[in-house]
Amino acid sequence: MSIDWITVAAQIVNFLLLIWLLKRFLYRPILDGIDAREAEIAARMGEAAAVRQQAEARETEYEARIAQLSSSRAELLEEARRAAEAERDALLSKARARLEEEQAERAAHRAEEAARHRADLQRRGAEALLALTRKALRDLADEGLERRIVLQAAGRLADMGDDLREAAGDARQAVALTRDPLPEEVQARLRSDLGDVLEGVSLRFEVDPGQSPGLNLRLGGAQLGWTVDSYLNGLEATLAEAAGRPARRGGHDAA
Amino acid sequence: MELTPDTNIVFAPWGFGINATIVNTWIIMAVLTGTAALVTRNLRPDVPPNRWRTTLEVIVGGIVGQIAEITERRDPRILYFSGTLFLFIVTANLLTVVPGFDTPTASLSTTVALALSVLIAVPLFGIGSRGLGGYLRTYLEPSVIMLPFNIISEVSRGISLAIRLYGNIMSGAVIAAILLGVAPFFFPVVMDMLGLLTGVIQAYIFAILATVYISSATAATPKPPKEAP
Repeated sequence: MSIDWITVAAQIVNFLLLIWLLKRFLYRPILDGIDAREAEIAARMGEAAAVRQQAEARETEYEARIAQLSSSRAELLEEARRAAEAERDALLSKARARLEEEQAERAAHRAEEAARHRADLQRRGAEALLALTRKALRDLADEGLERRIVLQAAGRLADMGDDLREAAGDARQAVALTRDPLPEEVQARLRSDLGDVLEGVSLRFEVDPGQSPGLNLRLGGAQLGWTVDSYLNGLEATLAEAAGRPARRGGHDAA
Repeated sequence: MELTPDTNIVFAPWGFGINATIVNTWIIMAVLTGTAALVTRNLRPDVPPNRWRTTLEVIVGGIVGQIAEITERRDPRILYFSGTLFLFIVTANLLTVVPGFDTPTASLSTTVALALSVLIAVPLFGIGSRGLGGYLRTYLEPSVIMLPFNIISEVSRGISLAIRLYGNIMSGAVIAAILLGVAPFFFPVVMDMLGLLTGVIQAYIFAILATVYISSATAATPKPPKEAP
């Protein structure tokens, strides 16, 4: 067992050199790598802790919200029920109002229909009355009636002086048209009364068997009628005016 | 029987003999440094660790953990010193299985050199940590009377370290050689396996003891070392 001190010195140098080499190629790279990885792990742990803390905060928030929702669920349900009832009431009142409006419209329509029907009935009655009157007057009319009508018309000529003169214009002859020939005294009366109103105008008498009993006086471009038909037309106009409808246009009525 | 590789001159440039202890030490240094440089040449955070890198990280991490457990702090200088001691000794002891390889730790010169390194490093670490006055005062504790005993204790530490390592490794080699003559097939294999285990344990003990000495020189109340076999 011997010690070679030169070898001892060389081994010490070798050992120191090995320390430097391993520090350079082993310890520092490995420790730096471990430190970097630990730093990365620590950073990730920090991130994970932050995320976990955030998640816990979110969980707490959600739990609080769930508790709040649970506590207010009954209130919300009651509120929703009240809202539903209000909506139902509104819909019902709306439907009721619409129903009442439709009923009012139907009632108005019925009233209108009834009024129209009543008016129609009145019109038909008036027409029937007129037709019956017209038939009766035609059937019952005779010379006496026509004579009386002519005399009545002659008596009214004085009141119509201005209108007659305006209607006559430059005409110098008038025509009196009847269904039956007039007696002489009636013709004289009519000629006299017309002469009093229209001086210088001659009167000519004509007969038309198809004419309604009465007198049609043609003067210039105008024609005045005092016949049964004209009287009935006046009656029809009066009935139509009473029924609230326009009168039918008929012959010119001087009555 | 040749007991030490110091006498085995490998080559002699300019008449200066380089023995097998030094050459084999260089080989171990080349193996350790080459492996470390090869594995750590592409050590970037974005590169995933491979098997070799993981192995080195486990070894270095284990050494760091052991040192931190003893010194209760993380001092890279202790890692450089004690870690290199452990890696050198364990590599040298494991290479005894290579036929024809004379391990440097079987040389008393190597073990004495390592023990001297520890003896020199302990006061240097102590002075670096406490200052010269603070370190020298540790020799006067608990009283001035203890000064010679403390000095003897320091020296005996180095001698025991050197003899322990040398004796264990050398005895293993001698026993293996003897058994090789008695029972050439079975016992040498068993003894070699046992020698590997003993070599690893001795490396661990040597490094741990060095760490404990350094820790006692740098800290006031070092933790007791783990039980040594």
